[in-house]
Amino acid sequence: MLEIRDLHVRIGSTDILTGLTLTVNAGEVHAIMGPNGSGKSTLAQVIAGHEDYQVTGGSVTFLGRNLLELEPEERARLGLFLGFQYPVEIPGVNNAYLLKAALNARRKERGQAEIDAFEFLQLAREKMTLLDMDPALLNRSVNEGFSGGEKKRNEILQMAVLEPVLAILDETDSGLDIDALKAVSKGVNAMRHPDRAIILVTHYQRLLGYVEPDYVHVLSKGQIVRSGDKSLAIQLEDMGYDWIREAAAG
Amino acid sequence: MSSHLIDFALLEQAVRKLPGDALHPVRANALAAFGQSEFPDQRQEDWKYTNLAPAAKLSNAWLRKRTTAIEAHAVSALLQEQIDQIVAKIPARWVVIANGLVETRSLHKLAAQQPAGLTVRSAAESAHLPTVVAGDVMSRFNAALIRDVLHIEVSANPENDKPIGILIIDDASDEASVTQTRIVIELEERAHASFIELHATAGDNQQFANCVCNMRLAGGAKARYVRIQERGLQHYQVGRLTAQLERNSELKHAAFDLGGALIRNDIDIAIREPGAAVELLGLYLASGRQHIDNHTRIDHCVGPATSREEYRGILNDRARCVFNGKAIVHAGADGTDARQSNHNLLLSDRAEIDTKPELEIYADDVKCSHGATVGQLDPKALFYLRSRGLNQSEAARALTRAFAETIVERTPVAEVRPYIQAIVDRKLQSLIDGEFA
Repeated sequence: MLEIRDLHVRIGSTDILTGLTLTVNAGEVHAIMGPNGSGKSTLAQVIAGHEDYQVTGGSVTFLGRNLLELEPEERARLGLFLGFQYPVEIPGVNNAYLLKAALNARRKERGQAEIDAFEFLQLAREKMTLLDMDPALLNRSVNEGFSGGEKKRNEILQMAVLEPVLAILDETDSGLDIDALKAVSKGVNAMRHPDRAIILVTHYQRLLGYVEPDYVHVLSKGQIVRSGDKSLAIQLEDMGYDWIREAAAG
Repeated sequence: MSSHLIDFALLEQAVRKLPGDALHPVRANALAAFGQSEFPDQRQEDWKYTNLAPAAKLSNAWLRKRTTAIEAHAVSALLQEQIDQIVAKIPARWVVIANGLVETRSLHKLAAQQPAGLTVRSAAESAHLPTVVAGDVMSRFNAALIRDVLHIEVSANPENDKPIGILIIDDASDEASVTQTRIVIELEERAHASFIELHATAGDNQQFANCVCNMRLAGGAKARYVRIQERGLQHYQVGRLTAQLERNSELKHAAFDLGGALIRNDIDIAIREPGAAVELLGLYLASGRQHIDNHTRIDHCVGPATSREEYRGILNDRARCVFNGKAIVHAGADGTDARQSNHNLLLSDRAEIDTKPELEIYADDVKCSHGATVGQLDPKALFYLRSRGLNQSEAARALTRAFAETIVERTPVAEVRPYIQAIVDRKLQSLIDGEFA
């Protein structure tokens, strides 16, 4: 589904990714871990199409297409979803409007008709119940004045409504209290599906106690330095990232 | 006599050719006063960013053609059709000012409805002539060439009555037009009324319209007023609203400028007695080479009183806009509470806004604030929306609409809000298509 080969990325004059290779297949859940500054968020942003990052080498294919040639909205319409580490507050733009516009953009891509207002409301409410979200948030401005937990739940709500083929969740667990973490994890687990892949980008092992990954990768200095199953995450929790850095250097 | 961009000899000749009606002395006085005043010039602080020379040039050409006679310009069938189309869109009691003359059919129709507490007259048809104020140079120019006055008096507070619609339309189908429009509105004690002043264009030739509205609110009176300017892109306009506010009166005004090539609006509010409240809202949307200049002045002569002002603008291409908001708190006007803000969104790096909020305070016990911002579309918000599948144009539309919504949703006359939303959406779409298509 997603094939990243020898990806090199820089921002300004700083190299962030220095030859990253990763294959993700349908039905898999991958966790990408690593210390601050290792390039985790850069990877997520580059896949979503942020234009501040300059790809200087390598390739990314998604569903057989050259992802790097596509605009961010084209990627989204194909079924790529990025859950933002810092969801953006957009005063004056209604949360329901965005959710519906996003869903219709995706439906249009798939040759489906626009969703009708009633059906949309039902769908949104159903997903909000799953995430234990206050239904009033639907009629507020996007993320404006939301608490940290509400913002992250709102990201998961968007994912749940859009039903992406590939979801990348960037530090979705950061700043969440235990109740929010449980609700978010429930939302993510509900999305697990043989046709869908999920990439969890995280600094801590905490989330992985609730959402069990099939593969764990450790990113250091812009490369994946180690891959394994979920036991690798537990090892990291015990030994810290220094262990990986030393192993990589040695 | 001072030097003028207007050819004074031509103006004098034209004024002399106008009919010897009741307005004749008004014109004669205004002409003399105009001769003694300076025509707007960019060397004057108030006109620093706005060059009226093209409007003066057009006026001279128009005057030159009228040294023998000035005929009343009849409303053509085509113009009538256009008028009917516009007024059908907004529920209101409409009266039409076409080419500077109050259109009698609309006037009679309104009078036949006999709305309680409302008297609408034209100078042409009435023996009762209101005072025609001509304190500034462009009001003098207006009064010197005046053909008619629309005079509205409100004496009651009819529940749930329709707003009063004033359609100002000038016909430049056959040739360039230069028109002077004058409205006098008086609200008696505790009277309430809502107004919609709509400016439209017919024809593709150049136009210069000079529109003056003088308003007086007696004690406890409440006026809600929405001015919508959607003139053609060949149109020059100078507009002035003056309002005198007496004890506990309230004026809520919103101005929407979407059209025109060269637009200058002045609002001049005088709070004469305690307890008055003023709200001024404005939205200007400009693209191409449009030039829209809004000057407002609120004189807090006494306190306590409140004024609230918020103007917002979205500019694209090489549009140039000006905002100058002045609040003057005079000595002794204690208890004044004045707030003012101006926010601008520039979609193009060639667009230009000159914004200047000004406060002059000569009293002690006052609360005043002002602020101005100029920014671009937030790139983080744009990327966020695009990452959800909205294309650049859709994302920009959502963000600009949200920016404009702050003003649109507070439009004080509810009946006209859907119309404004529709024309704002249309204009925003054209601004965005120009940038992202």
